[in-house]
Amino acid sequence: MNKLKDAFNGLTLVKALIYLFFIIFMLLPLFSVFLVSFTGQPINLLGSLTDPKILSSTIEKFQGASIESYTSMLQNSSYGSALKNSLGLALLVALIVILVCIPIAYGIARTTMPFKKTISALCTIPLIVPTFISAYAFIIMFGRAGWVTHIWQSLGFEGMLINPYSMTGIVLVQVFFFFPYALWPMVAAFKVSDVTLEEASQNLGAKNWFTFVFVTFPLAIPGVISSALLIFTVSFSDFGTPIILAPSNLNLLVVEAYREIAGFFNWGGAAILTVVMVLVAAFFFWLQHLFTKGKNYGSVSGKPKVQKLNDNKVLTRVITVYSGFLVLIPLLAMLSITLQSFATTWGKDPLPNGYTLDHYKTIFTSSMGNIQNSIILALGALALSVVIATFVSYFVVRQNSTKLDFLTSIPLVVPGIAFGIALIQTFNTAPLHLTGTALLLILAYTIRRLPYMVRSTMGTMRSIKQDVEEAAINLGATPLTAAITIIGPLMLPGIAAGSVLVFITVIKETSISILLAPAEWAPMSLAIFQNILRGEYYTAAAMSIVLVVLVLILQAIANRMSARNPN
Amino acid sequence: MGSVKVDQLTKEFAGVKALNNVNLDIQEGEFFALLGPSGCGKTTTMRCIAGFEQPTTGTILIGDKAVNKIPPNRRNCGMVFQSYALFPHMNVFENVAYSLNIKQLNSSNVISQAGIYLRLLNRKFGKYPKDIEKKVMEILEYVELDRYATRLTSELSGGQQQRVALARALVMEPAVLLMDEPLSNLDQKLRHSMRNTIRRIQQDLGITTIFVTHDQEEAMSMADRVAVMDHGEVMQIGTPTDLYSRPATPFIANFVGTSNMLKGTVVDEVDGLSIIKGDGFQLRSSQTSTKKEVDVIIRPENIKVYKADRVPSDASNLLEGDIVVSTYLGSIVRYDVQIGNYQLVVDTTYSSGESILAAGEKIKMSIEPERVLLI
Ligand SMILES: Nc1ncnc2c1ncn2[C@@H]1O[C@H](COP(=O)(O)OP(=O)(O)OP(=O)(O)O)[C@@H](O)[C@H]1O
Ligand SMILES: [Mg+2]
Repeated sequence: MNKLKDAFNGLTLVKALIYLFFIIFMLLPLFSVFLVSFTGQPINLLGSLTDPKILSSTIEKFQGASIESYTSMLQNSSYGSALKNSLGLALLVALIVILVCIPIAYGIARTTMPFKKTISALCTIPLIVPTFISAYAFIIMFGRAGWVTHIWQSLGFEGMLINPYSMTGIVLVQVFFFFPYALWPMVAAFKVSDVTLEEASQNLGAKNWFTFVFVTFPLAIPGVISSALLIFTVSFSDFGTPIILAPSNLNLLVVEAYREIAGFFNWGGAAILTVVMVLVAAFFFWLQHLFTKGKNYGSVSGKPKVQKLNDNKVLTRVITVYSGFLVLIPLLAMLSITLQSFATTWGKDPLPNGYTLDHYKTIFTSSMGNIQNSIILALGALALSVVIATFVSYFVVRQNSTKLDFLTSIPLVVPGIAFGIALIQTFNTAPLHLTGTALLLILAYTIRRLPYMVRSTMGTMRSIKQDVEEAAINLGATPLTAAITIIGPLMLPGIAAGSVLVFITVIKETSISILLAPAEWAPMSLAIFQNILRGEYYTAAAMSIVLVVLVLILQAIANRMSARNPN
Repeated sequence: MGSVKVDQLTKEFAGVKALNNVNLDIQEGEFFALLGPSGCGKTTTMRCIAGFEQPTTGTILIGDKAVNKIPPNRRNCGMVFQSYALFPHMNVFENVAYSLNIKQLNSSNVISQAGIYLRLLNRKFGKYPKDIEKKVMEILEYVELDRYATRLTSELSGGQQQRVALARALVMEPAVLLMDEPLSNLDQKLRHSMRNTIRRIQQDLGITTIFVTHDQEEAMSMADRVAVMDHGEVMQIGTPTDLYSRPATPFIANFVGTSNMLKGTVVDEVDGLSIIKGDGFQLRSSQTSTKKEVDVIIRPENIKVYKADRVPSDASNLLEGDIVVSTYLGSIVRYDVQIGNYQLVVDTTYSSGESILAAGEKIKMSIEPERVLLI
């Protein structure tokens, strides 16, 4: 048996290292934060293992542990209202998004609406923009000095059309910028609905609208609910919008947690909020999983059914106009930021007073460092996630390692701000003092975006037949050598696609950057955020445009690649 | 060094026996075929030999050495996969050179190892040493693929891919060559010519070869010996003629060539001949049986057919029947003949000019007692 073990040692070692990585940098922080939510004071688990003194103080802290903090949360403290508000916000956004998406999803899936392609393409714009930039764009549009407000007032109305610094503002930003997350699953749901049933309904003389309401829609309900749950989780975990727009009298979990840690160093409070966030997000993620499980067979198996598309002229045109309006808002938001980035000054007027390239000059001279940081950090996270994801997909696909599969999907559930708090709290003392280093930032990005990478590499891994690998082993290669020389190169398309996705999301990443980035490693997102806080709106706008353009370029590369590699 | 012995091999998958006490003794240089219907455990046997499956119990010896504990990459069994399993990102040359690269990798220091890895990842990153190049080109010439060395494997025909797979396995000079249904992806014609190619190469190199197939014709025409498997067990091992003329079970008789099977009872023994009585027939066989109830096997070509009025006087085991179907197959004519409740298949050689008996005709048939097999 020994020699057999020798041969597999290389891979086994890699597997052990990957487990170790997840345990130390993901499970340990989450577990620590869970413990701290009871002790109310930071505890150092790693330190307790290495230093008896720390161990005894840890034990002491445990003796003082209680669930008091949780019970007080249930009473009407500020945490309680934060939880209520956050749930309310997510619920509201989910509901509105679903209602808003039904006509477009139906239009794209089941009608011959004009400009279908253009609208579909425009629907991806909101996903490119980090939410705190979208929120900021709403201020440029709807704020006290916004151009919408100007038009509103010149029409003779008082005040603002919408106050962006309010629950309404947050809801609107999230609706307009998150709806594409729900749109595509809903389009798919409408597509798989059973055509024969619909035809039967129509044969029986039912009107179109009747068929839709009583046949098509009910069949799509599981898909719709799953989309709603997805939006709920996305909205609930979103940090960018609330941190920019939440007024001081509106408590939201993410903002509250950020303030506790960044403002007051209240470890206990932040821990409780973190645990609550993770639990809520995990619960809704799990619910969504229940709804999607085994529901997509219609789109996968068999021949595509030929569906009769609705070509009612009035209906399709109304849907197109409506969809156009929906994508117009994000488009205008981006346009506003673009204008602001070129503006000399822009007061309470529909257009800037003059145009200049100065803001770009400024950022390309004084903020070049941020751009560099973003790229370096993203490349670091990228390299790490390529290696981990490649091996994880190997273990999951070839060795059926369901535990690793599960581990790599945990980050999907943990809101960024929660994960950030867990990391800071765990690694801010010896023996692994990483808080404030670029390394922790890279680790955080990596873990947070690993699911995207793994999804991509796992797909390619599945398409590589086992016997190709066995052939290599049969020809004398150890499993590790076979993995490097055969599996690795064959996985390149998947790795490339995943890489672009990871790179993009890391550059957009807000919560982790704001919480964890040290000053000398500030990435673009942090720089923009700080500029907004400092009121340096013009440079913030210019930097935002640079960021969005960078993302767009990468996205274009990704599309190119996936067009060339259809698998 | 090239003999293979499989000793009491049993393999269970999740408690279900895929192989049950398989014993094989394959001589050095022998061409040995594993024959059996789908799911009978041929691939599993081969994978146990190659080391991809661990036997549940039992031993595997390659060249007198137990290899159970040797990992698959050190067993030196060249394997040709059913799907060929060529490396799609490498060209023909690189595919064949792979094992030589690995060999060099294992016998060099860290720095040259890095060089070999680079070369393996992309041919542009390193030059192949002369000896590897020479060896690869030699084997490619041997399988008549030297002109295709720089082609991607996806740009080759099925038969060419097959030969790349063969060359790739042969270049490592394996102790044993394992082939799992290597011809099943080829069309009929190509299959015939590849049979000859494989057999010629095997004879040339004298390499011990285990060949898996579910096609009895393939096994019988290529192999020195054949093991017939069913339900994870070896039913019979023997030369093709052995199997054909002395099948151990009705299953084998049926599987190896076409056969007529009749149920009968041994009623007497006269002059060393067994007398068998059955439903509508009586036959004499030169074989003896320990059982009373027997299966009588008669090969279609061992039945002689006569028009009812032209029976020679020395004909033995005379039977009478009606032709149901008469099929002209080129060099032979096949008759389906009804005798009582049985329908027999009878093949007669056909030389041009002869007349073919038509359906509905009454005929007589005779069978030599030596050709009446009892199981
Ligand atoms: N990895 C596995 N797990 C579970 N059962 C298996 C596994 N591999 C093979 N089996 C079972 O073992 C039996 C023998 O399979 P094997 O692949 O050896 O058949 P085979 O003779 O090669 O058939 P074929 O001609 O179809 O290739 C089958 O019943 C199969 O279902
Ligand atoms: Mg098989």
